[in-house]
Amino acid sequence: MNHSASPGTGQPRRLRPEHRRFALVTLLPGLSLLILLSLIASVGAINLAFQDRMLRFPDAAYVGLENFERLFRDRRFANALQVSAIWEVVTVVCTMLLAVLLAILLVEGVRSPRVRNAICILLIIPVLLPRVSAGLIWRFLYSPTMGAANYPLTMLGLPPIEFLSDPQIALYAVALVDIWQWGLFFGVVLAKLIETLPKEPQEAARLDHAGTLGVYWWVALPMLRGPIIMMTFVKAIESLRSFDLIYTMTAGGPGISTETLDLYAFQQGIGISGRISYASSLSVLLMVMTVIIFSILWKRAARWAA
Amino acid sequence: MGRVTLRLGGGLLTWLIVLLALLPVFWTILSSFKSLRDIVSPIPVLVFQPTLENYRTVLTTPAVRDGLVNSIIVVGSALLIGVVLGVPAAYALARFVRRLKGDIQFFVLSLRFMPPVAVALPFIALWLDLGLYDTLIAVIVTYCIVTISTIIWLGVPAFEQVPRAIEEAAALEGYGPFAVFWKVALPVAAPSLVGAVLFTFVITWNELLIALALTSRNVTLPVVAAGFTTLGMEVPWGVINASSVVLALPPLILVGLIMRFIDRYFSRPAR
Repeated sequence: MNHSASPGTGQPRRLRPEHRRFALVTLLPGLSLLILLSLIASVGAINLAFQDRMLRFPDAAYVGLENFERLFRDRRFANALQVSAIWEVVTVVCTMLLAVLLAILLVEGVRSPRVRNAICILLIIPVLLPRVSAGLIWRFLYSPTMGAANYPLTMLGLPPIEFLSDPQIALYAVALVDIWQWGLFFGVVLAKLIETLPKEPQEAARLDHAGTLGVYWWVALPMLRGPIIMMTFVKAIESLRSFDLIYTMTAGGPGISTETLDLYAFQQGIGISGRISYASSLSVLLMVMTVIIFSILWKRAARWAA
Repeated sequence: MGRVTLRLGGGLLTWLIVLLALLPVFWTILSSFKSLRDIVSPIPVLVFQPTLENYRTVLTTPAVRDGLVNSIIVVGSALLIGVVLGVPAAYALARFVRRLKGDIQFFVLSLRFMPPVAVALPFIALWLDLGLYDTLIAVIVTYCIVTISTIIWLGVPAFEQVPRAIEEAAALEGYGPFAVFWKVALPVAAPSLVGAVLFTFVITWNELLIALALTSRNVTLPVVAAGFTTLGMEVPWGVINASSVVLALPPLILVGLIMRFIDRYFSRPAR
């Protein structure tokens, strides 16, 4: 929204001095604190990345690019990069698919607005759960001996699936929890957005004998292109915060099969090894990657969504 | 005809999904009232003698009580600072900043792009050097990045929805900008702002990584709960279930209010 150019609101072009003063007094403290803290975070991380600091010792020396060179030879880093990429793609794509299907189902399948609203409240419960709680809940479900997820299998006399200790499955089993939290929530949001759409274009498509799914695919979803792109973008950012869930559920295991970049950086910098400089070089790479990629994507997504 | 089948089948399918989606939560709550013998049974036990033993254990564990108190102090203070600094800033941004508005909003949003690990590591070094490592103050200040930026980010649209005319009418009555903000804009925007504050509360209450990194003894509740699984030889599932419930309770109590905020935010014609 561009207020400065809107005519008829009686808004003067120039700010009055008292407004300028108000803006200065209210913006300065919050913004300067934010700028200070973000500078500490970014400059501090970059500074650490060029040293050889260990968590246990306060003194350190500058070592140039050594940490980064070591990083590119580090097989565990390559593994973490791969795990993070799989995690990102799987969680973003599945969340959006679940959200779209659920939204259509909610709008088409539940006619009463009150019932629909009640269902929506129930469906946003998972996303509000602390990730630690969500992780513990699903660890319990996935347990091979007493987990409810294995009960249907053992009832049929089949061997239980070791969801979290099978390196082939573990990452996807954890990803399911993330999709459970976000897919349901986005489904609710998308259903709310579909409700706000004008009905005429959809009715017109229906008169042209389009099926229900066809109406959504050709008419309703394209009308929501903007919000859907923004939601995908938000999910892509949220998916980078995989640490809490993975740490609670597998701590990167079995082996390093669920070790994402942030988890590896944490284990290196804070866990037993305490190589905070090495971990910082990793997190600097992560930060540069995300800030650059997402800044470009943000500008592009905003243009696309318009 | 296809529509009718979809509607009938859709209704059933929706309820099935709701059931499946909530089963994990329901199961955990149920199991938190079970004795260990009923929990480890390979066949799910639905009828059992409920016990409060798990909750008694959880709530009498000193670590949990300290974690709860720490969480309340940390989240409360960071949220308070976020509101005091963020809300007026959001108003000024919505009304009195033009050229830099887009840039400031993008800066605030871009803080959300920063990987938490990249925030945690330099702050460990900083707090160690300042002798503040493992203090609540360190966690509170670090959390301010999240609270201030989120409240500004969500507060700007809340103030933009306040009709300009009533603010101008108040200004004609001789109200200065502070009075207009405090007596007119703030009360009108309050319902949306409550949503922004709730949302920020949920994010900070649930946060694990930064708290885990910045403390070793003065930990918050998520850190305590996450630590339960690594304790001891026999996994105390009853206690774990009870502690997940205790930890999840504050955000869950707010679910109705948060839904109203989502409605307010999305159920209006786009923009």
